[in-house]
Amino acid sequence: MSSNGTTSIGLNCPIPSRFEQSKDWSQLPDSYSQTPGGTLFSTTPGGTRIIYDRKFLLECRNSPITRTPPCCLPHIPGVTAPALHPLGKLKEMDENKDIPADDAQFVIDI
Amino acid sequence: MNNKFDALKDDDSGDHDQDQGSQKDCEKEKNDNDEDDDQNTAKKKVCVSPKYNATIAVPGVGEHPLQYNYSFWYSRRTPGRPASTQSYESNIKQIGSFASVEQFWRFYSHMIRPGDLTGHSDFHLFKEGIKPMWEDDANKLGGKWIIRLRKGLASRCWENLILAMLGEQFMVGEEICGAVVSVRFQEDIISIWNKTASDQATITRIRDTLRRVLNLPPNTIMEYKTHTDSIKAWEDFHGLVNAVGGR
Repeated sequence: MSSNGTTSIGLNCPIPSRFEQSKDWSQLPDSYSQTPGGTLFSTTPGGTRIIYDRKFLLECRNSPITRTPPCCLPHIPGVTAPALHPLGKLKEMDENKDIPADDAQFVIDI
Repeated sequence: MNNKFDALKDDDSGDHDQDQGSQKDCEKEKNDNDEDDDQNTAKKKVCVSPKYNATIAVPGVGEHPLQYNYSFWYSRRTPGRPASTQSYESNIKQIGSFASVEQFWRFYSHMIRPGDLTGHSDFHLFKEGIKPMWEDDANKLGGKWIIRLRKGLASRCWENLILAMLGEQFMVGEEICGAVVSVRFQEDIISIWNKTASDQATITRIRDTLRRVLNLPPNTIMEYKTHTDSIKAWEDFHGLVNAVGGR
């Protein structure tokens, strides 16, 4: 931290500290190395792991590959949607609507 | 207990009937490999079984592989129906499996968000080879962190939870089994399951990661439950209904 009142020759800079409580959890400790594309490979006691941060995963969503439904998507009304959602990104909207107790309209196609 | 939905109040994700039932031949049902130990290698193999016509997902060319393969499952139960007449296993349907980030988005983008599900519904996202059931070998000695959410938060929290899981943010080795989002009458519940309920260090680290990645409202309560405790609670509850209700 900065010194108090004493003059010193040379640089006087506070020790940078990093708090993990930050909201942006793509900041990971220095032990991780970063490769191009946002993929992080870390060496942990268990070996190398493939780690992706949230930001990177969300960016992958824009890839054209993701536009088509997977080939074997089962048709479950009210659950699966063969047509792509109009919303590209999840909106935080107020979903405080009444949940209908009537379940008869939904049928699982098992 | 007049209100049938009171019965659901303690009902969190993963509760189900105790009978095993016969194994349902789901669409992408895999052969029984030793997935738990081979998670790191299995995803690279292409395994075609002529008998079951089942393949193991592999990352496509140019796609970003995940540390593990995962499967989406969906389950739904009609509330009020006596659980003893239903088999949990036949009520749960596998939606599909994926091995890469892009394949994940293909599924996720074509599924309804949890906030828009109705009734007593659950989405489960579990590592390939682990069934989202207490009885699975990977879950037998395990437990889960559960977070109860007021209505309106499930979609966002579920997304953040699964992105953290797929992106290996929990840093607990092989311990993570999967995640569940449960839509219930007046609240929603998200949970993350791990293999070893007695591993205090793992449980603490999972909790800390959840706090970091989910941006939960203040005063949100997180609770850890072992599956054996959940089984006991379920048995007690249903025993009580039968004895007193006298159906």
